Amino acid sequence: MRAQLPVRIRVIAFGALLFICAPLVSLLWRVPWSRLVDLLTREVVTDALLLSLITSLAAALAALALGVPLALYLTRMNGFSASLIRAVVVLPMILPPVVGGAALLFAFGRNGLVGSAVSDLTGLVLPYTLTGVIVANTFVALPFVILTVEGALRASDSRFELAAATLGANESRVTFRVVLPMVRPALIAGGFLGWARALGEFGATITFAGNIQGKTQTLPLAVFVALETDRDAALAMSVVLISVSLLILVSLRDRWWPVR
Amino acid sequence: MSTSPEFLLDARVVLDRGDLHLDVELQVHHGEVVAVMGPNGAGKTTLLNALLGWLPLQSGWVLVDGETFEAPGEGIVTATHRRGLGMVFQDGLLFPHLKVAGNIEFGAAPNADLASLIETLEVSNLLEKYPSELSAGQIQRVALARTLAADPKMVLLDEPLAALDIAGRSRARELIGTALSENLSGALLVTHDPADAFALAQRVLVLENGRVAQFDSPSAIQSEPKSRWIADLMGWNIFRGAGRGSSVVMPNGTEIATAGLQTDGEVSVMINPVAVALFPERPVGSPRNSWLCRVRGVQFLGDIARVSLSGPLTIYADITSSAAAELALKEGTEIWVTVKATEVHTDAHSNGD
Repeated sequence: MRAQLPVRIRVIAFGALLFICAPLVSLLWRVPWSRLVDLLTREVVTDALLLSLITSLAAALAALALGVPLALYLTRMNGFSASLIRAVVVLPMILPPVVGGAALLFAFGRNGLVGSAVSDLTGLVLPYTLTGVIVANTFVALPFVILTVEGALRASDSRFELAAATLGANESRVTFRVVLPMVRPALIAGGFLGWARALGEFGATITFAGNIQGKTQTLPLAVFVALETDRDAALAMSVVLISVSLLILVSLRDRWWPVR
Repeated sequence: MSTSPEFLLDARVVLDRGDLHLDVELQVHHGEVVAVMGPNGAGKTTLLNALLGWLPLQSGWVLVDGETFEAPGEGIVTATHRRGLGMVFQDGLLFPHLKVAGNIEFGAAPNADLASLIETLEVSNLLEKYPSELSAGQIQRVALARTLAADPKMVLLDEPLAALDIAGRSRARELIGTALSENLSGALLVTHDPADAFALAQRVLVLENGRVAQFDSPSAIQSEPKSRWIADLMGWNIFRGAGRGSSVVMPNGTEIATAGLQTDGEVSVMINPVAVALFPERPVGSPRNSWLCRVRGVQFLGDIARVSLSGPLTIYADITSSAAAELALKEGTEIWVTVKATEVHTDAHSNGD
């Protein structure tokens, strides 16, 4: 139990909730519900839906594959170096995605630092490709995975690792049989959060991968284009995005947020 | 540096951790259980972690069965999982994501006789449960089974019974004793309960401030405690005063004669309650340590009566219940208290808690 709140605070809290809900409710208000199925089966929309599904899931998996090892490593670091690395890692979370996309271009673009070497060696070009979309989505999804998993790892008792070692478990057995299974809820939460973030990614994608229907045009890009040309289609796609994101957050039941 | 294979464990552990400077040398014989006791912060758990290779030694050595696991001087460090030392933690530390069976099998040696372990430790009906469904006593039995299943060369136990209630304790103590004698080549048992130490261990190492205060048989620890802390634990009377010649002077001026002390500094005086004698009249020949005190209370514990007295000294005496009845002791009774100088133990180096 906690003490009752003063009326002023309660009024402001209610106002804040209204402020967040008003745009969502207004959007849902305008959705042409009777034509929803028709709108969602148009080629532009199905292309974007499929593309978003593939790229966001791939990005979530890539973010897990890259983020979990980094989270494990960060857990073993302390002091200034850890703070510095953590700041760099979290940067894509608060960086304007357009800047992130531009940075990706300078790194992995045809003439980028890494990209030119890669294309010389393998002929692989990332910008304006489906793989490019996945790279951009992974870039923005990574911090969510790392923060969620590192938080859980730090909260878990390191003596379990000692217990496993005294039972003869080597480093990889300790990691894969004890440490990671014990933070399974965080792995799941991090993956889903990364997925939700990747699904909604706009700025980095359009900057790095362009806006080519059927190739790099994901749902958020399609919504942006449709707002100018076909408002009803934009609303229908928005409903999909809102539903999926809300579903993810509700099904995680606060496991993504430090509430007990 | 000793390399004698007559010891199961031969170690000298020197390391600094925070305020603690740990410097302990100990040997454990094959088949021997050694209890480690000491106040909080004395370095007991740090000692175990160092032996396991979880904390690096600054200097010293760790040899198990003649094999060198760590010797900073020679640049030898063996990883924890290659040492073959088992560990039972105070809270069991069962892996929460594995069932009891999964926990026991986690590190099981290929030749381990799991069935007999499961029977000895009475965990057969728990195998399909998760650790969160177990009581504290069950957790410790499973933890011990898990450790022994790995067939360790030696087992370290860190307060394995501390989390149990009194009823669960004596049963668990019995089971541990059985399991240790059946399965083990030797063990180091950290405990704060003298009952555990005396029931399970052949020798007791008293650790204080990172150093060995005493390393002796349980009976010697009981009859000749060398430090204030262990005497207090044994229920002895403890006084602090200043040394003067062969006596110790209390802050209130009362003098306690000893059989030979010669110190000027601060001294702890330790007197076994059994060695405190009570007389209705001033004893003849008037021994040096005799004081007229007043009974504050009498507590009967079976055949023993514990008499609490106040006067020049606030002291406990353990006498037989029949003697207490004969003296007709009750609150307020005035009585002569005597202690032979040879029964007065001192600890001049103790710096208290």
